[in-house]
Amino acid sequence: MHAIAHLATLTPLAVAAALQAEPATAEAASGVLGQQIVTGLSNGMIIALIAIGYTMVYGIIELINFAHGDLCTLGAFFALMLVGALGMEAWSGVAGMAGVVLLLAGAAAFCALFNWSIDRVVYRPLRSAPKLTLLVSAIGCSFVLVNLALFWGGLPMEVFGGGVAAAAPKDFPAMVPDSSLLPDAWDSWVSAEAFLRSSPSWNDPSVWWLTWAPRVALAVLVKSRELNFTTSDLLVWCVTLPLMVALTGLVRCTRLGKAMRAVAQNPTAASLMGIDVDRVIGAAFLIGGALGGFASVIYALYNNTISFQMGYRTGMDAFTAAVLGGIGSMPGAVVGGLLIGVARAISDGYIEARWTNSVVFAILIATLVFRPSGLLGAKLRDKV
Amino acid sequence: MAPILEVDRVTMRFGGLVANEDVSFRVEPGQVYAVIGPNGAGKTTLFNAITGVYQPSAGEVRFEGSVIRKRVGPRLALRVLGTAVVSAIASSLAVNILSLWKAVVVANYAYGEPFAWGKALSCAGPVLREAGAAWTWLPALIGALVGGGAAFVLWLRRRRTPDVVQRAGIARTFQNIRLFGELSVLENVLVGMHARLRTGFLENLLRLPSFFGERHRSRDRAMELLRFVGLESRAPDAARNLPYGLQRRLEIARALASSPRLLLLDEPAAGMNPTETVALTGLIRQIRERGVTVLLIEHHMRVVMGVSDRICVLNFGKRIAEGTPEQIRSDPACIEAYLGKEELG
Amino acid sequence: MIRGRSLSPSWILLGGAVLLGLLDRPLGLGLVDPMRGVLVFALLGLGLNVVTGFTGLLHLGMAAFMAIGAYAFAIGTCDIYPFQLGFWPAMVLTVVVGAVAGFLLGAPTLGLRGDYLAIVTLGFGEIVQDVMKNMDAITKGTQGINPLPPPVLPGVGELGSEEGPWYWLFLGLLVLAVMACRNLERSRTGRAWLAVREDELAASCMGIAPIPAKMYAFATGAALAAMAGGLWASLYASTGEPGNYDFQVSILALCIVIVGGMGSIDGVLVGSLAMIGVANIALPKLAAWLQARGVVDPSNVLGSPNNWKYLVFGVVLMVMMRVRPEGLLPARLGRVGGGR
Repeated sequence: MHAIAHLATLTPLAVAAALQAEPATAEAASGVLGQQIVTGLSNGMIIALIAIGYTMVYGIIELINFAHGDLCTLGAFFALMLVGALGMEAWSGVAGMAGVVLLLAGAAAFCALFNWSIDRVVYRPLRSAPKLTLLVSAIGCSFVLVNLALFWGGLPMEVFGGGVAAAAPKDFPAMVPDSSLLPDAWDSWVSAEAFLRSSPSWNDPSVWWLTWAPRVALAVLVKSRELNFTTSDLLVWCVTLPLMVALTGLVRCTRLGKAMRAVAQNPTAASLMGIDVDRVIGAAFLIGGALGGFASVIYALYNNTISFQMGYRTGMDAFTAAVLGGIGSMPGAVVGGLLIGVARAISDGYIEARWTNSVVFAILIATLVFRPSGLLGAKLRDKV
Repeated sequence: MAPILEVDRVTMRFGGLVANEDVSFRVEPGQVYAVIGPNGAGKTTLFNAITGVYQPSAGEVRFEGSVIRKRVGPRLALRVLGTAVVSAIASSLAVNILSLWKAVVVANYAYGEPFAWGKALSCAGPVLREAGAAWTWLPALIGALVGGGAAFVLWLRRRRTPDVVQRAGIARTFQNIRLFGELSVLENVLVGMHARLRTGFLENLLRLPSFFGERHRSRDRAMELLRFVGLESRAPDAARNLPYGLQRRLEIARALASSPRLLLLDEPAAGMNPTETVALTGLIRQIRERGVTVLLIEHHMRVVMGVSDRICVLNFGKRIAEGTPEQIRSDPACIEAYLGKEELG
Repeated sequence: MIRGRSLSPSWILLGGAVLLGLLDRPLGLGLVDPMRGVLVFALLGLGLNVVTGFTGLLHLGMAAFMAIGAYAFAIGTCDIYPFQLGFWPAMVLTVVVGAVAGFLLGAPTLGLRGDYLAIVTLGFGEIVQDVMKNMDAITKGTQGINPLPPPVLPGVGELGSEEGPWYWLFLGLLVLAVMACRNLERSRTGRAWLAVREDELAASCMGIAPIPAKMYAFATGAALAAMAGGLWASLYASTGEPGNYDFQVSILALCIVIVGGMGSIDGVLVGSLAMIGVANIALPKLAAWLQARGVVDPSNVLGSPNNWKYLVFGVVLMVMMRVRPEGLLPARLGRVGGGR
């Protein structure tokens, strides 16, 4: 027994030692890996938020809503316009925070209404049409939105570059500082470690079960000192996580959520049960659009640059994420989004940034070949 | 006589739902054999298990003495080996293409000067050797294993697909008509003939003489089948424009086009009026006279009792009775489960 | 063509194209030059029509095969490489490479259903662009491969800056492609495609193995798209940068097929005339006309008609789907001569 206890103590010790005492280059590299995972997760959450918009609409009317990514572009442009109109670049402190909240709310409302109107005007008349008809309309709609974003970029405002070079990328002011949050927290951990080391049980193998957990925790924290977890990362996490929780609650527990699931299963039966199918679909577009609006603002604040084509690239990632997770499944969209975000970051760091898109799609293709309905998608069966 | 179809203790499970449990029966050549039972008794599921749409969870379906599935043989070997070789070369190339290109093409070609192919290609070997096992052979090995493995797994999964079963000689119709709506009536029958026709891609692309010969023969035969079911005059119409009863007949003609030895009819009389039903009964008899064994699912008792040689009764996925129409008529279990006295008339 | 004497719209359109070729110079229309683009995109559309129109597989990466064709043709002919094939051998190579690429993409993925296949093709389109961009030792990266030697035709000689011979060459190849597609459509192969499109399970119960059937469709479509790519590269004596073969091009091909009418060869011809005609002929002419009059200020984003292109495309697509979803010239029955 004692030997096992010893081993159990030594293992975390070894892990901790290994984590702490690496040669400089490897240390740097592993620090980079951690950093990439953090950045990847943040980007992945933005992707996941957009992916939910794809997957909600697909789950209900089996439409790949191509216009969704470009809707997010418009959301970002709307936010930038707000910034310009209200002179928000100069806001700081509490005002700056209020500004961020205002931007989030404004873009979400704008995108939600816009998305809802797209459904009302473009898709609703085609409810009974074949799937492909709807899809082509969505592609057409996406083209129109891209073009609108291009025109929007030519607006004669200071923030848009004064109306010349409409197609050029626009700077989005860094309203959330890019300062790291971890180093300050670190100092208190140093004293914690010193305190632990001075305690007699730290070096006593017989109470290993008391010490190994803090050891590993400390080792991880030592590593995390090299990490750069910034305020904008925090913003991303603080916006997306509650939204995802709220959305899960909405779909699981509310009447609207139940109606959505019913319509997704069988629209005809749902309407026979007295559910207003058009309203439910409209609500899905409204919610998906709002999520897209949130995503567009945090994307803009996180990356500090937007362009009329950003919706294509981000939308493609989000769509890939939705398919990877199993289109129609909301947890799938989140898992897919995080996976894509992390995979992109790792590929950027360890392969080459220019191959990243290929890596993402290669992962997607490989996954689909072996799991044809995505990671969490429902297995479909032909009805005969 | 050896049975043409043996359903041997077939069980179909979907998750927790048991659609068929231990169903067995045998169909003799030349018979019209009916499977009846209340809605949800598992008849169509059984059909799907027979035709390869589903794989039985347990038990087997034997056609003319053996289970229909793709055979292990040279075709499989060729397929697995071929895929393995191609993916081995492809993966090794994908890793080495740039260095190969530099060594073979860039190093040996000066702008405007002649290119010595033999010498250039001989530069490839050293590059691959120099790259060593890790970069040359490892990708090739992994590629071969993944490619060959995937080819084998896919083959295994698709050993008993509907097209394999159909080509072995079992044709079917569908309960909810599944014609090719945008195709003409004639084309629908020609599609049914697909497996009996031979012309390949290039012959069709280039319209070689064999194409014309086969087109002529196939069209004649399709028209003969349409005449048989009484649809000759509708040959050029779109299938979806036919009235319901005729669509059912077209489904039968399409199934017969493959010259099956066993024909599975899934509720052919559903949605037909009494006149059409009587005509259908006659048609089924004629099909039997052509030497085709018929397995029938039907609700119309008049049709079933009128044409069947033997009947199998399913209820809740289990066989509750089997025998001649007379035996079924008087079987108390059947009457209780399904028939009802007044329907027997 | 048992069906007969009635002249199909394809032949009317191609006849019109011949007439245009003959009359362009005497009438001074200046349309032959931009029409070459229409012809190339008609080829691309024919390829997509085989995949999406006939077989019902939504394909969002057709531009990738166009790129593969362009690069195969360029590597085969350009004198910075040792191969230096003539125009026709290189064209054959291009078509074969395209078909093989289609086959290789299709083999592992054609078991996927509808939307999943669509995203895989979309991803393939992105990957091919990346590969062309990043393998610069072979593909010259973003500068593209150039200059390509002009085609040399027997009896005509080297095709130079004069548009006429190019036009006839492209038109001839398009006629061949149209004939090939019609032959396939009205044969056992094409019937299998249509059956798979209409109802895959029923088709499989009729003895058609769906995956090989789809594979042939994929390879055929890819071969035609590669041919379009080869011609495109040959026309501009350059592959151009890989970004030229992006998602927009794939969608343009899809628009051509859908505006014309899914599964309709006639439709593809009309569709490419409508879409490319608007983008490459009408809009530039409008731009030139407006600028000559000084109506618009080219520095304003709204002032350049080219900036309206996607808006116009998008609105056309949406309106089409609302008003005439079956396309301008929908596929007609009687492919096997049922009419007699």
